[in-house]
Amino acid sequence: MNGARKAVSGPVVAMTDDPVTDRQRSSKARGPLRSFVAVVAFLLAWQFLVPLLHVPDYVLPLPSVIAQRFGETFMLQLANLAVTAMTTLAGLAIALVVGVLLALLVVYVEGVKSVVMPFLAAFNSIPKIAIAPLFVIWFGLGAESKILLAFLLALFPIFVNSMTGLGEIEPDILDLSRLAGGSSYRVFTMVRLMHATPYITDALKVAFPLALVGSIVGEFIGGNRGIGQLILAAQFNLDTPLVFAALLSITVFTTAGIGVITLFERRFLKWRPSQRSR
Amino acid sequence: MSIALEIADVRKTFGALVAVERASFAVEANEFVSIVGPSGCGKSTLLRMVAGLAAPTSGGIRVAGRTVSGPIRDVGMVFQAPVLLPWRTTLANILFVADVAGKTTAAHRERALQLIALAGLAGFEHAYPHELSGGMQQRAAICRALLLDPPLILMDEPFGALDVMTRERMGFELQKIWATSRNTVLFVTHSISEAVLLSDTIVVMTPRPGRIHDIVKVDLPRPRDVSVLEHPRFIELSARVRGGIQGSEMTSLGKVVCDPTSAFVQ
Repeated sequence: MNGARKAVSGPVVAMTDDPVTDRQRSSKARGPLRSFVAVVAFLLAWQFLVPLLHVPDYVLPLPSVIAQRFGETFMLQLANLAVTAMTTLAGLAIALVVGVLLALLVVYVEGVKSVVMPFLAAFNSIPKIAIAPLFVIWFGLGAESKILLAFLLALFPIFVNSMTGLGEIEPDILDLSRLAGGSSYRVFTMVRLMHATPYITDALKVAFPLALVGSIVGEFIGGNRGIGQLILAAQFNLDTPLVFAALLSITVFTTAGIGVITLFERRFLKWRPSQRSR
Repeated sequence: MSIALEIADVRKTFGALVAVERASFAVEANEFVSIVGPSGCGKSTLLRMVAGLAAPTSGGIRVAGRTVSGPIRDVGMVFQAPVLLPWRTTLANILFVADVAGKTTAAHRERALQLIALAGLAGFEHAYPHELSGGMQQRAAICRALLLDPPLILMDEPFGALDVMTRERMGFELQKIWATSRNTVLFVTHSISEAVLLSDTIVVMTPRPGRIHDIVKVDLPRPRDVSVLEHPRFIELSARVRGGIQGSEMTSLGKVVCDPTSAFVQ
C-alpha cells in the first residue's frame, strides 16, 4: 500500500507502469522495437543458457516447454482465467464505486473526514491476506469471498486518490464558478470530476493488480475454480510448466487491463503532463 | 455619470490584524480605477469584498445600487494566476463562465471567438493551456472575464506573475481591449506606471492597517501609447503616487523608531 500513501501529495505513480512504457513515450519510434528486442533476447538467453546449468524442468522449465504446456492447456487456462477475471473486475468495479462515493462524502460533508479516516487507516494497516480465511468462513468458498478480497485490496488507493482529485481544487476556480452563478452540480461535473479523472485512472493502474492479488489469494484459500486453483493443482502435481503457463495467463490479463486504462488516458486525458507529446 | 460601485467606510479585520481600515471611495460607471499599494495593504481583500467573496467587518459596499451580501453576479474576475482549466482548450476555457451557469449559446461562442481575435489569440482557439505562454494564458483569462460583457470587472494583479517586458505589452493590450467595451474596471496592482497608464482614477493605499492615502485623477488623453510614458504629466502623476506610498512608509518607519517600546524589539 506504499503507492496509496504517496497519493496524498499527488497521483500515485502507477507501480505496474513498467519502465518500458515510459521509454516508449520519450522516444516514440524506437521504443517499442527496443522493448521487443529486449524481451526476445531475454527469452533466448533463458532457452539456451539455462540448459547449460542443468536445471531440471520441475524447477525452472524452458520457455519452449512452458509454451507447449500453455498450448495444451489453453481451454483450461481460458476457463479458469474467466473465473478469476470475473471476481477481479467485480471487486475492482465495486471498489471504484464505493471509493469514489466515500471520497465524495469526505469532500462534500464537513466533519466526515475525521470520522472516516481513522477507521480506514486502521483497516488499511491490517494485511487483508491474513484475514482472508475469515471471509471464507463468512462468505463460503464461492465467488463472494474472492470478490470481497479483491474489493478490499483495491479500495484504499482508489479512495485516497479520489479524495485528492475531487477535493484539492484551486480556490480561485471555485470563486470564479460562484461568481458565474454555477450550480454545485455543474461545478462537480465540470471541475471536480474532470480534475479527479487522472487521479482515479492512476489509482486504477495500482488497484487493478491489487484486486487480482485478492482474487488469487481467495482461490488459494478455498474453492475449486480460477487461476489460483489451477496454480495450486499444478503445484501438487509438481507440474511446474503448468504453473508458469498459468502465470503467463495472468500476465496477459494484467497487461490487457493496464492497456485499456492507458488507451483511455491517450484518448481522453491528452492534456495531462505525462501525455503531452512535446 | 452614474455610480457603479460605492465603498463606504469599509473595515476588515482578521482576528487582531486590521486588513482594511475605514476605506471609502466611489467608482463611476465606465471608469477604470486602480488600487495601488505595496503588498499587505489590503488591496486584494478589498477586491474580494467588492465581489462578495468576503464580507466586510463593518461598513458597506454597493454595486450598481445594490448592497453586496454574497457573491455578486454580472462581474468578471481576473486573478494573478490565469486559473485556466488544463483540460479545456482556449475557447472552452473562455466559455467556462457560461458553461458552468448552463447558459452557453451560439452567441457566446461567437463572442468568445471575437475576443480571441481581439486578444491576439487567433490560431490558438483549440490549444490547451500548457501550449500557451504565460502572457497568452492571462489574455485568455481576460477574455473569459469579458465573455458575458459584465458591467463590472475586477482584476487582482493580473500581470503580477509575468515578466517585465510581457507585462508592459499586456498593459497596452488591455487598454486596447478595454477601449472596445468600456466596462467599469477595478484593477489592483503594485506597479505605479501600470496604474497611471491604464487608469482614470488611482486609489493609493498604505499598509498596516490598509488605509486609503490619496485618490489621484489621471487626466492624460486616451488612447495612450508608448509615448505617454515620457509625457511630463505621466511623470508628474507617477511621482505623486510614488510619493504617496513612500511618504506613508516614512511616517510609519518614523513611528517605529520613535516608539521606545518597539524600537529594539524590531
